[in-house]
Amino acid sequence: MLELVARFLLIGALAFGGGQAALPLVERLAVADTGWLTPTQFATGVGLSYATPGPILILAAFIGYHVAAVPGAVAATAAVFTIPVVLAGFTAQLVAKLKDARWFQAFGRFAAAAAVGLLGVTLLVLAWPVVDIHWALLLGSAVVFSAELRGVHPIILIPAAVLLGALWPLINDALVRFYIL
Amino acid sequence: MPPPDAIIHPKNEATGRPSLPSLGWALLCIGAVAFGGLGATLALLRRELVERRGWLRPGDITEALAYTKPLPGSTVVQVVTFLGWRLGNWPGAIVATSAFILPALALMTVAAAAVLALPDAAWVRGALTGLQIAVVGLLAAALWHLARSEAGSVLLLTVLLVAFAAGLFVNAAVVVTVAGAIGVLIDRVKHNA
Repeated sequence: MLELVARFLLIGALAFGGGQAALPLVERLAVADTGWLTPTQFATGVGLSYATPGPILILAAFIGYHVAAVPGAVAATAAVFTIPVVLAGFTAQLVAKLKDARWFQAFGRFAAAAAVGLLGVTLLVLAWPVVDIHWALLLGSAVVFSAELRGVHPIILIPAAVLLGALWPLINDALVRFYIL
Repeated sequence: MPPPDAIIHPKNEATGRPSLPSLGWALLCIGAVAFGGLGATLALLRRELVERRGWLRPGDITEALAYTKPLPGSTVVQVVTFLGWRLGNWPGAIVATSAFILPALALMTVAAAAVLALPDAAWVRGALTGLQIAVVGLLAAALWHLARSEAGSVLLLTVLLVAFAAGLFVNAAVVVTVAGAIGVLIDRVKHNA
């Protein structure tokens, strides 16, 4: 539990570039390093984070729940938001002193670029189990990718993909029967 | 008599501070329907807090975004904290932020429990595979958008690529911190030159 809180505090403190840019940090620091979740479970958590309202880093609750049920979910969520929220409160209070500090801006720019680079690693980790089932499934990812770039909302794409996946055994059955008969 | 501008644009001026319970209730409702990430949520905050309740001016939201974007952490949450602080100091910030996160926390806890309780059936495996496929596509799209917004120069693109390579072997916290430190160094050298 202490480790859970410590890791999510660290993720919050390093999450330059916002919530989505912090996904690789969550994957590296709270999944790959610890083995608390499999890549498949992590992908499920990310999907649910996109599908629920509010911040994407609510993913912390998903991981926390897997580690220590409801107390874990609450603790991980509190931990991941504590440092950012305190900073935002002070920023509002001090009318953005930190925001104007040159060194802090330079740090943030480079740290954010690095976090985006790490997203590439996370993408590989998550794509691997999919390729493992069948490489052609990545075509589905490509469809989701281009749909998102064309402005289709994740809130539509995720239920669609889940539904299609759930119905796949039926579709598969129908196809097999069609070919056999 | 109010100034003419207030008659023409009655919603342009904030009308005063809400009580903590009404602030909490407002953010709880917003948090429950804040689908679709930063852009959609900013629009929602504007509609609810500026236009409908008149607690804030449109400029407050822009300012909150500008000031919290460079900070580490979830920008959506930080915008809410910033606005909460403006409406009621630290108590306002804490009430607004907790109320905003609460619906997501509750939903995600239920969802996590539900996922763990799913039976090992063909349709469940199919649904989870579908979800994984979608997540890979969505993260690729996130990578695309973020690379465009966060790696606007050759130097930052290099940082991105080196971080990717380093991330395969080195701890992520180290990669991000070292990149930030290099940024400070380069900024210092450039500034002194």
